Amino acid sequence: MTEEMRSETSLRLANGPLAGPVLCRVVSMVLARADCPVDRLDDALLACEEIATHGPGFVADGHLSVTLRTGRDRLELRVGELTEQGAEGMLSAAIVPGVGNVLERVSDELRVEPGRDGGVGELVLRIGFRTAGAGSGDGRAA
Amino acid sequence: MTREASDVMTATEAASTPDIELLLPARAENVAIVRHALGALGEVLALDEQTLSDIRLAVTEACTNVVVHAYPNGEEGPLEVLATLGEEDLTVVVRDEGGGISPRRDSPGLGLGLPLIASLAENVQLGHDAQKRTEVRMTFLLSALAEP
Repeated sequence: MTEEMRSETSLRLANGPLAGPVLCRVVSMVLARADCPVDRLDDALLACEEIATHGPGFVADGHLSVTLRTGRDRLELRVGELTEQGAEGMLSAAIVPGVGNVLERVSDELRVEPGRDGGVGELVLRIGFRTAGAGSGDGRAA
Repeated sequence: MTREASDVMTATEAASTPDIELLLPARAENVAIVRHALGALGEVLALDEQTLSDIRLAVTEACTNVVVHAYPNGEEGPLEVLATLGEEDLTVVVRDEGGGISPRRDSPGLGLGLPLIASLAENVQLGHDAQKRTEVRMTFLLSALAEP
């Protein structure tokens, strides 16, 4: 098992009512263990709700794959098995009138990468945070 | 807790696609993540407290077995949990890539894990999948669940 795998949690969820609640619960637990402050936890859950709501319309095989990686000051969410243009579609769907793009707003970094298993693409979100013991600040990592 | 050998499943028994697949390192702290995922499942299905508690306890035991026994000598490996919702039942498979289920004289536990799982689940099968990974397959009857 590689060092990367040691902090990695992978979820594969069938489209349906289970996807959102399960994804949010797992992300909550992972971030709580990473000592993530509550404001960024809220942001991450907002992103998860967007992914669970709009993701199913852009996945290749009826399943939403999400890989979570935590570091000392960040959470990386990789949303995979997307259809061609699926990542772009998800980003468009995440636009809320008067608010803007929710995924862009809560992420410190947002990019589209080629799928790891030869898939069309993955949407990658990095959500930075300062751990509770790391001093004051707005909670966002540089 | 001792893991005992039992009947071996064939690949065809594992054919249906799970609703939830969770893959994470087999570490004690990750068992809590599995419990939380099951909590969300129970919430969506509006399971009664007792049923959800039984499912969580049985799955926790199976996951703990993986953490304690699957990878000896400080090795690390994956813990995989799959949940499939059927018409009348919920099947949860806990899978690892360890050396398989066998009696251990030096087991740190009381050997109550598998009997406990067997008493909580409607059906339990111990065996391997097509890739020779060790599986504990537990089925819980949906008829015991509350209407959502």
